[in-house]
Amino acid sequence: MTVEGGVDVTIPYTLFTLGNGLTVIVHRDTSLPVAAVNVWYHVGSKNEQPGRTGFAHLFEHIMFEGSAHVPEGEFDILLEGAGGVNNGSTTNDRTNYWENVPANALELALWLEADRMGFLLETMTQEKLDLQREVVKNERRESVDNQPYGSAFETVYEHLYPPRHPYHWPVIGSMDDLSAATLDDVKGFFRTYYAPGNAALAIAGDVDEAEVGRLVERYFGSLPAGPPVPAVQVPEATLASDRRVVIEDDVQLPRLYMAWHGARVYTDQDAVLDVLASVLSDGKSSRLYKRLVYDGQIAQDVSAFQNGQELVGSFWIVATAKPGVDLDELEVAVRQELERLVREGVRPVERERAVNGVETSFVRSLERVGGFGGKADRLNEYHFLTGSPGFVDRDLGRYRRVTEGDLSDAVRRFLLDRHAVRLDVVPRGRRGVRADGPAG
Amino acid sequence: MSPLDRQHPPEPGALRDFSFPAVERRDLPGGLDLRVARLSRLPVVSVVLFLRAGESTLEETRAGLACLAGDTLEGGTRRRSGSDLSEALERVGARLSVSTGWEGTSVSLSCLAERLEEALPLLVETVREPAFPEEEVARARDHALAGIRQRAMDPASQASDAAARRYFAPGVPYARPLGGTVASVESLGRGHLSGYADAFYRPGGGGLVVVGDVDADEIEAMASSLFGGWAGAPPAADIFDVEPAARTRTLQVVDRPGAVQSEIRVGHVGIARSDPDVFAVTVLNTLLGGAFTSRLNLNLRERNGFTYGVRSRFSLRSRPGAFSVRTAVGTEVTAQAVREILAEIQGLVDGGPGQGEVEAARDYVAGTFPLRQETVGQVAARVVELIIYGLEDDYHDRYRDRIRAVEVEDVHEVARRHLRPAEAQIVVVGDADGVAPGLEALGLGTVDVKAP
Repeated sequence: MTVEGGVDVTIPYTLFTLGNGLTVIVHRDTSLPVAAVNVWYHVGSKNEQPGRTGFAHLFEHIMFEGSAHVPEGEFDILLEGAGGVNNGSTTNDRTNYWENVPANALELALWLEADRMGFLLETMTQEKLDLQREVVKNERRESVDNQPYGSAFETVYEHLYPPRHPYHWPVIGSMDDLSAATLDDVKGFFRTYYAPGNAALAIAGDVDEAEVGRLVERYFGSLPAGPPVPAVQVPEATLASDRRVVIEDDVQLPRLYMAWHGARVYTDQDAVLDVLASVLSDGKSSRLYKRLVYDGQIAQDVSAFQNGQELVGSFWIVATAKPGVDLDELEVAVRQELERLVREGVRPVERERAVNGVETSFVRSLERVGGFGGKADRLNEYHFLTGSPGFVDRDLGRYRRVTEGDLSDAVRRFLLDRHAVRLDVVPRGRRGVRADGPAG
Repeated sequence: MSPLDRQHPPEPGALRDFSFPAVERRDLPGGLDLRVARLSRLPVVSVVLFLRAGESTLEETRAGLACLAGDTLEGGTRRRSGSDLSEALERVGARLSVSTGWEGTSVSLSCLAERLEEALPLLVETVREPAFPEEEVARARDHALAGIRQRAMDPASQASDAAARRYFAPGVPYARPLGGTVASVESLGRGHLSGYADAFYRPGGGGLVVVGDVDADEIEAMASSLFGGWAGAPPAADIFDVEPAARTRTLQVVDRPGAVQSEIRVGHVGIARSDPDVFAVTVLNTLLGGAFTSRLNLNLRERNGFTYGVRSRFSLRSRPGAFSVRTAVGTEVTAQAVREILAEIQGLVDGGPGQGEVEAARDYVAGTFPLRQETVGQVAARVVELIIYGLEDDYHDRYRDRIRAVEVEDVHEVARRHLRPAEAQIVVVGDADGVAPGLEALGLGTVDVKAP
């Protein structure tokens, strides 16, 4: 793939699969003497059961607490002492782990990842679970409960998806469910989801492909394959009517959240909705910014975004009211702009601006080999969510193909013709309307 | 290959060379310091225009003026409105952003290299010909005021703001929030902004940094023409004294009735960017609270499960910034957490670090340095630091060696010199009924409870 001017932007890679089912993806980039190791397990909060929410993420924490040949605490000590950094994260769809190390410490990172993929339970204890449970509860307090507007997203999700839907509950889970997690849950979860066949290992940086092949076979080749992973049941998610929810929080200004069911990640419609979000809220001449913030002066800020996920996506419009402005007024203005977009269409220059922005961001996103969103992480993401790391060469094409007509069709099809969840986050003591019950 | 050994961590191979990208230095007319680093890994470029227009030179009554002027810069020029400017940038896929700090204002541009010729003139026009239209000023001011008011409701910001007032004596700029207060920002109007820009958006003492797939001669030619006729320098900044607010330990609780968590800050005045102790202090801070395996994090998070994370930091500024430990913990363990933080600081002052600890911290800082120079934006930020703080041209080339030269004794010495637990200012934002009795029982001094 090339950008204007003919410069190649891609991620060349080789892919092979070990006998136990582990997918290995290797990308060589010798710009800096660093190596990035990235492991994805195809398990996230979507694989949890109601009553045990937050477990995939709690489990992620436990993965750093040592395994058969790595004493508790040593994982980070060895990596930081080698001049490396590491982290992990959990979403609704997947759990990832990465190490960025000086290239000469690649083998250390592989040894550590293999040990926790193969031998985590040998040294698992109730104490490790209890301690990380407390850490995660504090993470929840810090990012949700004690954070202004912090519970908005989980509240919208709760209403956008019915109770049995895998996206109904938050990744961080509820306090009660975190308390309920047992050591047996840890063991069962590991055996079910943390097998080589449910994982992929991407390695990028100043590495030699043949050497990587040998090292990976050495450390990962003998790990047992594991059982097939249970399928996730996905009930249909449609809204029979508009829903409205109001919550009070420690906030200065009321904020409006509107969310609709969108498109799955990496589909063509996902790209259309990304471009639409940019036309609506990127830059001073974007439609919603102009109407609500710039000309109308009824909102402090506004943003629109498409959140494409593995099972289904959602499209969001979020606006903070200016002092004294009612959130109803914001919703009316948003809807009028959406209708106007369908009525009058999108100008070619609006589409062009949005696609140029996507192109620049795409090229910039290839600057880092490791970490969240770096090249190793991207290769794993393409592998799991599109079936091939080679999707990197088709990704930008989805955006370039978007037409003005696609954009107005999407507004009609995904937004105006569908019901929405509306959440109002208002200052304490200012609740005007009682909340509806949860969805379903 | 030898047989598979899972028992022992594999030995690292030979360390590979890393050099910081070569930087070419040119002088532009008007005194602007031009630095260009060619990185041709990807067809992207990052530009930063740094101006000596920072918050620390402002009177308290005008606090927030540099920030507000920066925030309003994109509101338009004498030639085009804010939305026309935004459209022109988006058409070439460029992003412009302005950030203002204590030392100055950085106007940054990011675009594909082939678009630089179209995008750079827009950056220059933005800075040289700002119009500050009345309605844009009002919008930016409203936005800033809403942000300041929201900070007062966000426990983490509340704690950091309260701590700054406790660390620095009244009148020291660092004692106040960077963006100013409701009172100072409300007093600002269009006249202040254009007057400020006229005096402070000047090339003298500033710099232009360009990093990416570019040629230094071409950049010099382009910049010479775009900045031609631009002259002058901002008024020289006073070198202010940085006095602490108190030389004894104080303990303040800012009440947030019903809070499920306490935001904790513990600290005091630290060191300036130019302090020769900076390398030893970097190693010290890494092992105290700068890395995951630091003493504080291993204690509060990994041993006790009190928190999701704890970090310590020396803010390195032109004048001495703060040394500060920050964390958020459950209400019921607040007093224990404060006790442990003070004990870890005291432990380093008294006993110093261990040999293995210092080696690990050194290797961590030196080893992760290349990882922080991956993007053109990261490299540009490093080069801008040279200009802001007047560091030697080879500062980044020598950085890793200087870190590796730090010994146990050096760390112990700077711990004794720059950590002063007896003078620590302790701020807790949390449920006063829940935390005050435990804090009193620590016997650290009177707990001053502040109403919400």
